[in-house]
Amino acid sequence: MEKNKTVVINNKKKDLPPERVLDIENLHVSFDTYAGEVKAVRGVTLHVDKGEVLAIVGESGCGKSVTAQTIMKLNPMPPARIPEGEVTLGDIDIVAAPEKAMQKIRGKTVSMIFQDPMTCLNPTMQVGKQIVEAIKHHRKLSGAEAKAEAIKFLKLVNIPNPEERVKQYPHEYSGGMRQRAMIAMALSCDPLLLIADEPTTALDVTIQAQIMDLLNEIKDETETAIILITHDLGVVASMADRIAVMYAGKVVESGTNEEIFYDNKHPYTQALLNSLPSVDSNKRDKLVSIPGTPPDLLAPPAGCAFAARCEHCMEICKTEQPPEFDIIGDHYAACWLLHPDCPAAEERGELNA
Amino acid sequence: MPKTNEVLLKLENICKYFKVAGGILKAVDGVTLDIYKGETLGLVGESGCGKSTLGRVAMGIYPQTSGVIEYEGNAVNLKRGGNRFDYAKKAQVIFQDPYASLDPRMTVSSIIEEGMVIHKMYDKEKRKKRVEELLELVGLNKEHANRFPHEFSGGQRQRIGIARALAIEPKFIVCDEPISALDVSIQSQIINLLHDLQQKMDLTYLFIAHDLNIVKYISDRIAVMYLGEVVELASSDDLYKNTCHPYSQALLSAVPIPDPKIEAEKKRQIISGDVPSPINKPKGCSFAGRCPKAQDICRKEDPKLREISPQHFCACHLVESKM
Repeated sequence: MEKNKTVVINNKKKDLPPERVLDIENLHVSFDTYAGEVKAVRGVTLHVDKGEVLAIVGESGCGKSVTAQTIMKLNPMPPARIPEGEVTLGDIDIVAAPEKAMQKIRGKTVSMIFQDPMTCLNPTMQVGKQIVEAIKHHRKLSGAEAKAEAIKFLKLVNIPNPEERVKQYPHEYSGGMRQRAMIAMALSCDPLLLIADEPTTALDVTIQAQIMDLLNEIKDETETAIILITHDLGVVASMADRIAVMYAGKVVESGTNEEIFYDNKHPYTQALLNSLPSVDSNKRDKLVSIPGTPPDLLAPPAGCAFAARCEHCMEICKTEQPPEFDIIGDHYAACWLLHPDCPAAEERGELNA
Repeated sequence: MPKTNEVLLKLENICKYFKVAGGILKAVDGVTLDIYKGETLGLVGESGCGKSTLGRVAMGIYPQTSGVIEYEGNAVNLKRGGNRFDYAKKAQVIFQDPYASLDPRMTVSSIIEEGMVIHKMYDKEKRKKRVEELLELVGLNKEHANRFPHEFSGGQRQRIGIARALAIEPKFIVCDEPISALDVSIQSQIINLLHDLQQKMDLTYLFIAHDLNIVKYISDRIAVMYLGEVVELASSDDLYKNTCHPYSQALLSAVPIPDPKIEAEKKRQIISGDVPSPINKPKGCSFAGRCPKAQDICRKEDPKLREISPQHFCACHLVESKM
């Protein structure tokens, strides 16, 4: 934060492809608490291109939301810190950007949809006013024009009768409609990147289907890139282009939708997918479950964070963190099993290989 | 298919109304269900459809407005002076949120012991031993007995909740969304545990959930609820293969399946709109307003739940009976 305080724009350190919207390089985020330093994000590398949907999947506490919030710098600093790493959004260096600049970026270049539409809308303000507020902050429009824009975006997200609805308060909306209003607000300044943090978790399946449909429409009609944060692998399968699987503050595997679902390499990804009941599984076959719980990020393990729960764990896994091994193209996984010198399963003495 | 034909719990025409500002909220409106011994009956539906209310009536937390509950042939009277206390020994519940359902000021052993104290089971020594047994049964250590709930993770707390429900050796357990607050990798641990316990102790579950993949996996039969009524009831395979009610069809097609190839090919049937308010419900079929196939008769007459093929019940005017 100290250096480059004034230089925010055009301080690209490397050449990124022109379609690159977001580039995160070796990001670390820590929180200083009374109990010590919680290393919530421990070296995340990600990128998102124009018009693409990147899904970040992982259990609660794996750092997926913290990563997303860091893109918008929504974590109060302190207690949050970014000890190292780079976040480049468009041509803006987010890590170095001061709060003033962030206020211009939030909502305009990047915007966010939150999990619970009930608590993120102001209950004392008309929904239309809340959208107008965002529009007026970023775009030079008169009151009437901004209101017309708000109606346009409410129509875009399929809210029936938007001219009337714009004057209503959030409590007059249903859960699904509130989430639509949130999406309208997020899209109202045509952002480069839309972060959807568990957008359907609080909704019922039939409403979830409506919202996913809407997000798919947005993906097709606009060039906005979407980061979808979720733990629901079903939602991921139907929407994502690429997937990053996170565990204990790190991306353990990243690749295209098909690669992650059908050609996954990391034991955590495999265990996660196996633990879901499939369409034809029934009560007679037991679900595969991952024993234990994720590690405490106050004192993350020295080696691979998944080692303690992994059925393929080797000696090296306990002491050294695995690097990212490239598989094909953009598909990589961080697991020692992929090291060329790794012995075959029989040699390691695994029975169920 | 139910494993036995012995009915454990009979719910007949159960109604549960709440008086609210603006009218009467019909949370459960005439539900008739038989729960067989040793089976898992899944109960699915969107939020506000009355599935949790029905679960609470079935286990005796809410007295029903009208209708009859029979446990092993004996009527359960939930009113004051009734046999609610005895019934509580037979029916227990596992709640959704393991953070809110455990008293933060009580130790794990006193949480688990409480039911046994109330029902005057065993002496002090024996109870202590039983708590240790229960903890081991649900996959915790007996050293955990003197700790407090905040020292445990979500999955472990849910195990404590299960141990508490099992403490007084009930026969019937209402599982009210026991896994929806847990992480994916922990969910399967709890599902496996519930399944093992059922086989070991011959339990009967009423399993309430909105995750349809899980419900299909764990249930023998499934009841689909909409606006306080059961609209379809069938064995879980039958329900998924021959879905009859338009609402069940929409509900099942809305569930995203964790497989991109299936998702790409699947034609999702999206029903527009939201669940109507259960206050002053419309006349006729409660789904008529959102149903793509709705006819005139649907708006006039309330369809009755009828058997359309053996052991498959559906409440829709437009579905033809194959019987």
